[in-house]
Amino acid sequence: MSTVISSDTAAEAAEGGGSRGGRTRRGAKGAGRQMHGGKLTYAVLILFTMGSLFPLVWTAIAASRTNTRLAETPPPFWFGGNLFKNLDTAWHDANMGAALLNTTVVAGTIALGTVLFSTIAGFAFAKLRFRFKNLLLMLTIGTMMVPPQLSVVPLYMTIAELEWTDRLQAVILPTLVSAFGVFFMRQYLSQALPTELIEAARMDGASSVRIIWHIVFPTARPAMAVLGMLTFVQAWNDFFWPIIALTQNGNPTVQVALTGLGRGYIPDESVIMAGALLGTLPLLIALLLFGKQIVGGIMQGAVKG
Amino acid sequence: MTRPFGSTAGAAAPPADQGGTAQRPVAKTPDPAGPRRRAWRSRRYRWDIKYSPYAFVAPFFVFFAAFGLFPLLYTGWASLHRVELTDPTHMEWVGMHNYSRLWDDEFFWNALRNTFTIGLMSTVPQLLMALGLAHLLNYRLRGSTFFRVAILTPYATSVAAATLVFVLLFGRDYGMVNWALGLVGIDHIDWQNGSWTSQIAVSSIVVWRWTGYNALIYLAAMQAVPDDLYESAALDGASRWQQFLHVTIPSLRPTILFTVVVSTIGATQLFGEPLLFNGAAGATGGADHQYQTLGLYLYEQGWVNLHLGRASAIAWTMFLILLLIAAVNAVIARRLRKSQ
Amino acid sequence: MRRSSGTYRQRAVALAAVAALGAALLSGCAEDSDDSGGSSGGSGGGGGKGKTTITVGTFGVFGYKQAGLYDEYMRDHPDIRIEESSIERNENYYPQLLTHLGTGSGLADIQAVEVANINEVTTTQADKFVDLSKASGVEKDDYLPWKWAQATTEDGRTIGLGTDIGPTAICYRKDLFEQAGLPTDRDEVARLWAGDWQKYVDIGKRYMADAPDGTSFVDSAGGVYNAVISSSAERYYDRSGKLIYKDSPAVKEAWDLAVSASQAKLTAKLQQFQKSWDQAYANGRFATVSCPPWMLGYIKEKSGAKAEDKWDVAAAPKPGNWGGAFITVPQAAKHKEEAVKLAAWLTAPEQQAKVFQKQASFPSAQAAYRLPQVADARHPYFGDAPTGKIFAAAAKGVPTQILGPKDDLIKQNITDIGLLQVDQQGKSPEDAWKAATKTIDNALDQ
Repeated sequence: MSTVISSDTAAEAAEGGGSRGGRTRRGAKGAGRQMHGGKLTYAVLILFTMGSLFPLVWTAIAASRTNTRLAETPPPFWFGGNLFKNLDTAWHDANMGAALLNTTVVAGTIALGTVLFSTIAGFAFAKLRFRFKNLLLMLTIGTMMVPPQLSVVPLYMTIAELEWTDRLQAVILPTLVSAFGVFFMRQYLSQALPTELIEAARMDGASSVRIIWHIVFPTARPAMAVLGMLTFVQAWNDFFWPIIALTQNGNPTVQVALTGLGRGYIPDESVIMAGALLGTLPLLIALLLFGKQIVGGIMQGAVKG
Repeated sequence: MTRPFGSTAGAAAPPADQGGTAQRPVAKTPDPAGPRRRAWRSRRYRWDIKYSPYAFVAPFFVFFAAFGLFPLLYTGWASLHRVELTDPTHMEWVGMHNYSRLWDDEFFWNALRNTFTIGLMSTVPQLLMALGLAHLLNYRLRGSTFFRVAILTPYATSVAAATLVFVLLFGRDYGMVNWALGLVGIDHIDWQNGSWTSQIAVSSIVVWRWTGYNALIYLAAMQAVPDDLYESAALDGASRWQQFLHVTIPSLRPTILFTVVVSTIGATQLFGEPLLFNGAAGATGGADHQYQTLGLYLYEQGWVNLHLGRASAIAWTMFLILLLIAAVNAVIARRLRKSQ
Repeated sequence: MRRSSGTYRQRAVALAAVAALGAALLSGCAEDSDDSGGSSGGSGGGGGKGKTTITVGTFGVFGYKQAGLYDEYMRDHPDIRIEESSIERNENYYPQLLTHLGTGSGLADIQAVEVANINEVTTTQADKFVDLSKASGVEKDDYLPWKWAQATTEDGRTIGLGTDIGPTAICYRKDLFEQAGLPTDRDEVARLWAGDWQKYVDIGKRYMADAPDGTSFVDSAGGVYNAVISSSAERYYDRSGKLIYKDSPAVKEAWDLAVSASQAKLTAKLQQFQKSWDQAYANGRFATVSCPPWMLGYIKEKSGAKAEDKWDVAAAPKPGNWGGAFITVPQAAKHKEEAVKLAAWLTAPEQQAKVFQKQASFPSAQAAYRLPQVADARHPYFGDAPTGKIFAAAAKGVPTQILGPKDDLIKQNITDIGLLQVDQQGKSPEDAWKAATKTIDNALDQ
């Protein structure tokens, strides 16, 4: 397939357009983002990093202790010897193997769907003209404002009617698209995608689908990566709805499985924390992988082909 | 409905095939297939221009209609009824009673006030810090991936685990914050029981969870700012701070607007953090409801007190408040644009 | 997958005989009055291949799995599989149960109901549950009468079988009592305050006069209130079901005692089941706490090894009940007949005794109190206190409480709004009471 033409014309158009294009990072001394970070930059970043990581690290510390030790003061600041015992208990009590698999499927599908649908809808809202555009956009933003706690009852009635309880589609389909995502992509594309670029492609007779494939997707890649990651994380940690739609013995997601942990009259905090750690760990690994991709995407820039 | 290049472009350039046939888009050669085919093509092109936008937004709206609109309308309908969670299918018409009742409900106003102050205390510092953080991350850095992932870990941490840690941090007798304050000679603060202190504590959880997330969104947008803008600014002798102020911020305007809108919505619906900050004590938001937000009050009415109808009315009121904010926002924005 | 396929109805009859026989034997009752199984006739002969999977939905830990009861039942019934799903907290479990009941789907075959919700379920949802009183193997006389009554509707349908109860005693620190110059022997301690909660507060004042540094007599004002109100018969509703909490003498007595305890600085100004409460256990910051059997494990766990043998258990001034649960079978259950049999078996005295041995959930079946697992039970952590005897005596002394649908909500707001304002925020009792009643009225107003 000759993928070239549209992006070639795109580059031409962009250069003709003047203000945009030329995304080379070399040269340009003194410009903000080419600068290497100074010592202060690193110091501040390290401070933020420590602040960000502390609760997570402490979760791991708590998971490596005993329930009794956690009630004592001062709380433990370093790892104890119970990590694997607690992880083992959490793993077996919470049916984590199946849960992890389910959650991966659910979060993956939702992330994929959200990114795809949000990008094309966001593109339409950002760059295309059509009747009712503003109204539809307002409606989209409006849907974000519905407090999620309340749709649970009618949503559950729908799911029950369809006999979807305990099936993964019950948690996938209601969140497969997101107004947030549409709005996010719209804001990003309206800034990052030069209108001249699309016009030039149109001049060359490119169809809308082709423009999406060859111009919008490459331009939107950094934002798509960010959105995909955010959605994945969000879907992974979603709790309020899955706990109603799924049960622990049916098709639990991780968060549903974790509700069965520790607890009772004597909640075992260390096992609960071990469960929380187990539930977060795959996410962190995925985050690290996706994180690299994002960095890659961002570094490559949008229209590099 | 006039596209800037709609009809003229359609007439001037024959549209490329969508890739199904061997037709290459490069070809600007005269079409051998004759006028009929050309007419078909140009009609198809016009259709593409006219209708494809709807096709692009359709998936979103189809799913939204199925899983978003129905709940929304149902909720609106329920808000006009007396419905109890003990029997959600039994509805008794009460008209606007649930709304007029809210008007006289001091707990509602208290929750509205708390939502506003906590929203302010969490959103403003969060976005400012995120902006600064994104700016720093935009430098060339050793281990930039590490930093980016690290600041996103709070977002990946479940609210439950995070709040548990913060409850320990802000503990009255053995909390680490009080311990640190004690080192500089400040007496123990009963974070949970003071109205400002508890709101600060709840806000700090929100700030902690979302700063990195917003920083990443800003960073993605900053990467899309063309370099030459910085170059010319640098040539004009602008300092880094001035570049940040006069190049970065204006270029980021749509993204900033986006985060402000999303954070405002998030702040209005704030629920998990104040709920869990109260530990085992449920949705009261403290002994004096000092950190009960609208989302929490909605939850208390619906899921603790089991009044679904009233909870629906609170939900719709929240919805309307947000629409009101959006409208005011739009009017102001329009005024500003006109005055410029 | 949760639901194994196949038809189970045929098995039902065969199983009914086995289960009924087993339950009848175990319940220790000689009469074999209705052995018909109480289930629908159906066709005989077991043809289905797949196992019948009975699902059990609970909150917290019921201890059936831990005590090996499911395994035992499945061993005796090779065609039955039991799966339990549990949600940690009842605050999450109960709304989910209501949602599922309302839509008639997503329900497990057996659903647990907490005592705080049993009246609401019994008065508003009874038609959605199977009447268990006539199920084979269920003997009304096995259960404590007040427990049985709690899940019985006005027209005599019993929709829940009692699992555990929470008869209350007072757990106290022997070491702190000794330092404060009070007796430490559990019988002597019980005599100090026997019969009157006011005496308990008075002993508290004696304790504080000579208290070890940094310790308080009792954990919280809310704890005092809860202990007192739990031992009263008429509380928030009167016998006719009318809401009377504002004028209820029992509420007034409990409130006044709690306020006086707080104002006399007997309390450690804590809130129960919060992190700070756990930490106070670990640091030995208070000397007494009202404790049902299920809390012994909590105290042990949170106080840790260093407090071993320092805690003990004495009879409360007046016995009360705090906590406990029921199991029910929803009409919408997929395997109703089998579920009824399992429920009857799980709540039979023998099984309750086994659960107590493993999990310290105290039996609601009084017939179990004679069994050695209960009668001879001692708790090594609490100085080998004869917990079986102490709590059995308390259980029999619990008054038949008049429950109402919103008991828990009212109690929660009185302790978490009203008494917390007095105890932690230093507000006047009058203002705090007003704040609590305002919240309650707002919550109750439909």
